[in-house]
Amino acid sequence: MRLLIGILLAPLLLFSQDFDYSVSSIPEGFGKSANAVIRSDVMEVNIASRRMMRISCKRVVTVLNEAGNDAVMGYVGYDDGIRVKEVSAKVYDSSGKLIKKLKRSDFVDVSAVDGGSLYTDSRVLLLNYFPVAYPYTVEFEYGLSSNNTGTIPNWFFLRGFLVDVLQSRYTISFASPELKPKIKERNFGGYDIQKQVLENSIVYSATNINMVRDEALRPSLPKVMPHVLIAPTNFYYEGYEGRILNWKDAGEWMDTKILSGQGALPESTIRMAQQLVAGVEDDLEKARKIFKYVQENTRYISVQVGIGGIKPISAAEVDQLKYGDCKGLSNYTKSLLAAVGVESFYVHVEAGEDKIDFEEDFASLAQGNHVILAVPYNGEYYWLDSTSQTIPFGYIADFTDDRNVLIIKPHGGELQRTKSYIEEQNGQYTTGEYHLTAEGKLRGKVEITSHGQQYGNHYFLETLEKLDIDKYYKNYWSNINNLFLVSHDFKNDKEKIVFKETVEIEAEKYATSQNEKMLFVANAFNNPQYAPPRYRTRNFPFQIQRGFLDVDKYSVRLPEGYQIASLPEGITLDSQFGSYQLAISQETGDTITLERSMKLNQGYYSKDLYTTFRSFMRKIAKHDKSKIVIHKKVQP
Amino acid sequence: MINRQFFAIFVLLTTVVNAQKIQFGEISKAELEEAEYAFDTDAPAAITYKYQNTFYQTTNGNSNLVTEVHERIKIYKKEGFEYATEVINLYKGRYNAETVSKIKAFTYNLVDGKVIENKLDKDQIFKTEASYNYNRVTFTMPNVQKGSVIEFKYRITSPFIWNIDEFQFQYDIPVKKMIAEIRTPKGFRFNQTPKGYLDIVPKTTTTRDHRIDMDVVKKTYTMDQVPAMKEENYVDNIDNYRSGVMFELVSIDLPGYYKSFAKTWSDVAKTIGNSDDYEDELDKTRSFDDELDAILANHTDQIGKMKAVFRHIKENITWNGMDGKYFYYGIKKTLKEKKGNAADINLALVAMLRYAGINANPVVISTKDNTVPFFPTVERLNHVVAYALIEEQPYFLDATEEFSDINVLPVKDYNWQGILINNHDMVWRPIDLVAPPKSNRMYSLNVKLAEDGSCEGTYNSRFDKHSALRFRKQLKDIDLEAYITELENRYQGIEISEHKLTNTDSYEGYVKESFDFYDEEGTEIIDEKLYVNPLAFLIMEENPFKLEERNYPVDFGFPFRDTYMLNIDIPEGYEIAELPDPMIMKLPDDLGEFKYTVQKKPGGLGVVVNFEINRAMIPVTSYPMLREFYKQMVGKEAEKVVLSKV
Repeated sequence: MRLLIGILLAPLLLFSQDFDYSVSSIPEGFGKSANAVIRSDVMEVNIASRRMMRISCKRVVTVLNEAGNDAVMGYVGYDDGIRVKEVSAKVYDSSGKLIKKLKRSDFVDVSAVDGGSLYTDSRVLLLNYFPVAYPYTVEFEYGLSSNNTGTIPNWFFLRGFLVDVLQSRYTISFASPELKPKIKERNFGGYDIQKQVLENSIVYSATNINMVRDEALRPSLPKVMPHVLIAPTNFYYEGYEGRILNWKDAGEWMDTKILSGQGALPESTIRMAQQLVAGVEDDLEKARKIFKYVQENTRYISVQVGIGGIKPISAAEVDQLKYGDCKGLSNYTKSLLAAVGVESFYVHVEAGEDKIDFEEDFASLAQGNHVILAVPYNGEYYWLDSTSQTIPFGYIADFTDDRNVLIIKPHGGELQRTKSYIEEQNGQYTTGEYHLTAEGKLRGKVEITSHGQQYGNHYFLETLEKLDIDKYYKNYWSNINNLFLVSHDFKNDKEKIVFKETVEIEAEKYATSQNEKMLFVANAFNNPQYAPPRYRTRNFPFQIQRGFLDVDKYSVRLPEGYQIASLPEGITLDSQFGSYQLAISQETGDTITLERSMKLNQGYYSKDLYTTFRSFMRKIAKHDKSKIVIHKKVQP
Repeated sequence: MINRQFFAIFVLLTTVVNAQKIQFGEISKAELEEAEYAFDTDAPAAITYKYQNTFYQTTNGNSNLVTEVHERIKIYKKEGFEYATEVINLYKGRYNAETVSKIKAFTYNLVDGKVIENKLDKDQIFKTEASYNYNRVTFTMPNVQKGSVIEFKYRITSPFIWNIDEFQFQYDIPVKKMIAEIRTPKGFRFNQTPKGYLDIVPKTTTTRDHRIDMDVVKKTYTMDQVPAMKEENYVDNIDNYRSGVMFELVSIDLPGYYKSFAKTWSDVAKTIGNSDDYEDELDKTRSFDDELDAILANHTDQIGKMKAVFRHIKENITWNGMDGKYFYYGIKKTLKEKKGNAADINLALVAMLRYAGINANPVVISTKDNTVPFFPTVERLNHVVAYALIEEQPYFLDATEEFSDINVLPVKDYNWQGILINNHDMVWRPIDLVAPPKSNRMYSLNVKLAEDGSCEGTYNSRFDKHSALRFRKQLKDIDLEAYITELENRYQGIEISEHKLTNTDSYEGYVKESFDFYDEEGTEIIDEKLYVNPLAFLIMEENPFKLEERNYPVDFGFPFRDTYMLNIDIPEGYEIAELPDPMIMKLPDDLGEFKYTVQKKPGGLGVVVNFEINRAMIPVTSYPMLREFYKQMVGKEAEKVVLSKV
């Protein structure tokens, strides 16, 4: 055992002897606009046996200014299953002179609990160094061992934006061929990445990678940045051995080892569930009733202890406490559904606004950060997220929609794509009227009906307190100064998933009066004025994650004694990104009608098209600002 | 007579009823059936009852401060579920720590007309080390539903017997009834200072406490229907307005023993002045090196020396982000390690100023994030700055902030008065800080309009004092390319070139910014007329004060004057058809002013706009005026110059 560690650490030791820590040794072309330079980032993972994984990591980072401190990533997490064998750091000044050594006892040991959890038994050792001069260089080093080999760290050398990387190396070694992990390389194109395959190890290294800047509408980083996914085939995890070659195996392992036995419910609860659906024949209707029950009777609370990272707390426990995390609540819903004879499956998903897929041909336990349920019905799946107490049955927009997920079935897992919400389904219809007084005051009544993904942007309104509703509209209509909310009324049709707002507003000085004339922006009620920023050089492709369709129609009544001096011309814009129409016409002497529609298509576009897209959006913003000019009627 | 008597009895009765304590576990059906809180129907939850009892206890010769809490919360809506989680923070010292015990908690629900209770399991109570000086105990209640009532009690035992935490009566949900009691041994005098807008009058009685075998003074605070606290923008620190009572030990007066602690601000100052950090350390000179002598040798006058010392400290010592009126490292170690807390840095500054022959003393303050100290207190002062008096002129210095200057302190310092600690002259008293000076932001633009509605031009701006401080902080370590992109977006999509910043690294003088711009949509064309925005992209488009009502004063941080000067060239073949009228508008009490003129000039237009706010803090009573002022200003700035073809 000892010998093995010795061999493992040998390359690291060699490396530190002749390393030049001075800032002046950073090659030309690096560290110019960056906040930090990763001089070297070396990770070695050794799978010594099914029940022993050792990781050693050594990172040398030159921090150029205060904003670069995070790039050191001077922390190491652990829990009952992970032992931190050593952790230390050395700090060098800009000339490369050693100024401070920190040993394990100089690190701060804190709970890893964050805002999202009530409790977790995970802990973190934090590097406690306060820099007094920049630049400085840190050599941070740790070694840990774990009995769990179920997940293996991936290689992802990007350590944040505005960070140059001079060298990054990842070694995975394994004691025997059956411990050889599965590997998948992503987005290597255009990068200088070396790969070395030996009998018992594989080494990746990359050199001289320039920093990247964050950009609006960029795809999620795993989609565009190079990385290597690593997952075990034969492993041990929190008391269970496993063999996962494909998603079928992953699902089967989850089902038999992790989920089985967690579903039992007390007899009384089963009866309660059955009573709840008494008289209902249709499975989907039954599922609706059960989901509603779960929403009304439970809430989301996260407690992560031991294997809690992957195993749900039992359905019986949720039944008693009436709370749980995504795993516990989904498992509880699944058990209640089973009690009334409705089949459903536990689903692993990577949740978030960014749509991140499970890899088609690369099964691992490390993918996914959330659990939902899939209810099969008439050849399609309905997706239930039991962690929300307010979303409608089957609604998953903006969080788990349109992505590959793992459905865990008794005879194995399979990848499925969740429901997507496309343009026309994400409709928002704004209708209404406003009229202006001779003082330029606007009085208006608006109805906003939202569907699909856009429903998600509105329906929470009904849960807000009055003051927050007031703030919401003053912000939603930030184009209308001096807005006063006269009344509001909401109708939330959870069955059809349609949210309707009826709002009355007033706003003094909406129109600017000047010398017998008045000027005002015609489009009062749906005017977001969004255009993405200009980049001197755009580096990332861009993505419109979800499309939408907005259709607006309102009538405008002029103040008495005024007539139209000028009406903006209508326009129709068509592009691969979507379309826009604006038509403003005089109905009668003092009534104008505005009709507007805007459709934005979902899509993934190359960076070369960014300027075209920006100019399309700017044109829309410009036309949305078109003004109507009216003047006092000349007395005959 | 009869009426008066009746009134007296009535009052007495209600007081008795009001002070009545509720028994743990006695839940009525009515409470569970209650659908909303009558005085705030929006409230997602309410504290229907909170009883808090603080007293001293001696066991095995150890004295502890014990606080018992009994709280009942009604959950009206799902949004109120978060109030079913209780977080208890327990202070931890080097040798001992606060502990919590006897946690007992139940959730009550009405099921089929019956009250069903669920008990919190012991294994659902979690203890975490939250940070190096806090432990945290958390639990969340089982079986919480819309309509649930939750009830819990616990007991906190604190070895820190002189630190009585503030009694809070106001939370972000309303309180129906709260009773807070405190029993302090007779002879132990505590200052009890109320804060917030609500009337707080305790009832005081003296009784015998057998637990400590002493006479105790019992104060009972009874609060009914306390409204929820709501956040607002531009507030210095909302806790300043939160209803509560603060405590501080003033003196111990027992038979044969008397000791006074702080009582007046002078006492506070003297107490701090008598501490080692202030008594001995400030006049030691041996910790300074030759470097300082060399720097001082370059200056003959005191002002020059003060500036040199200030610069020397700033360049050599980095603030470690911690407040403090007492040393963290001490002057010697601070100079060696080149870092320190507020006291390390600013007391080193005082010591060096003294070494330079300047009349300098510490002034201890409470910063904005630490709330206003409402009564003479040592504990609630958290920061110290340096104060120099040269030729009768006061100078305040705070070297913790990289971009602060002499008499331009970090904004958080301007919270209240300071406490002067002048041990030399034996002067210990409150002292006013020099108020933040008016900060100038000057913008000048040259704009050339084209016939197609585009425009181009040059932008120059110049900021001083606190505006410069804020701008420099924002620019520090920033990625300039991202900053310019952000600037283009903020200014409605103009395209910026030749961008230049001047004097951003210094803390003195103006910080300047300049660039050339091109604006594709600079003016609007309507019916072949050009509608020109006189302030171009610098127009204020929105009134930041959107809410009709406000509960707290508006804190701008510092007074300011914005000046806009634009020269606009109009395209050949166009003439000015319409000009906005000039405007002068003043806020009452000289709080602010707005001046606006647009004039014809040869070849174009000259625009001069002045906008001043003269006070850092605008009282809440002036809020409607301030809002109207902004409204008029935004309205005026929206007016256009109309150009028509000749």
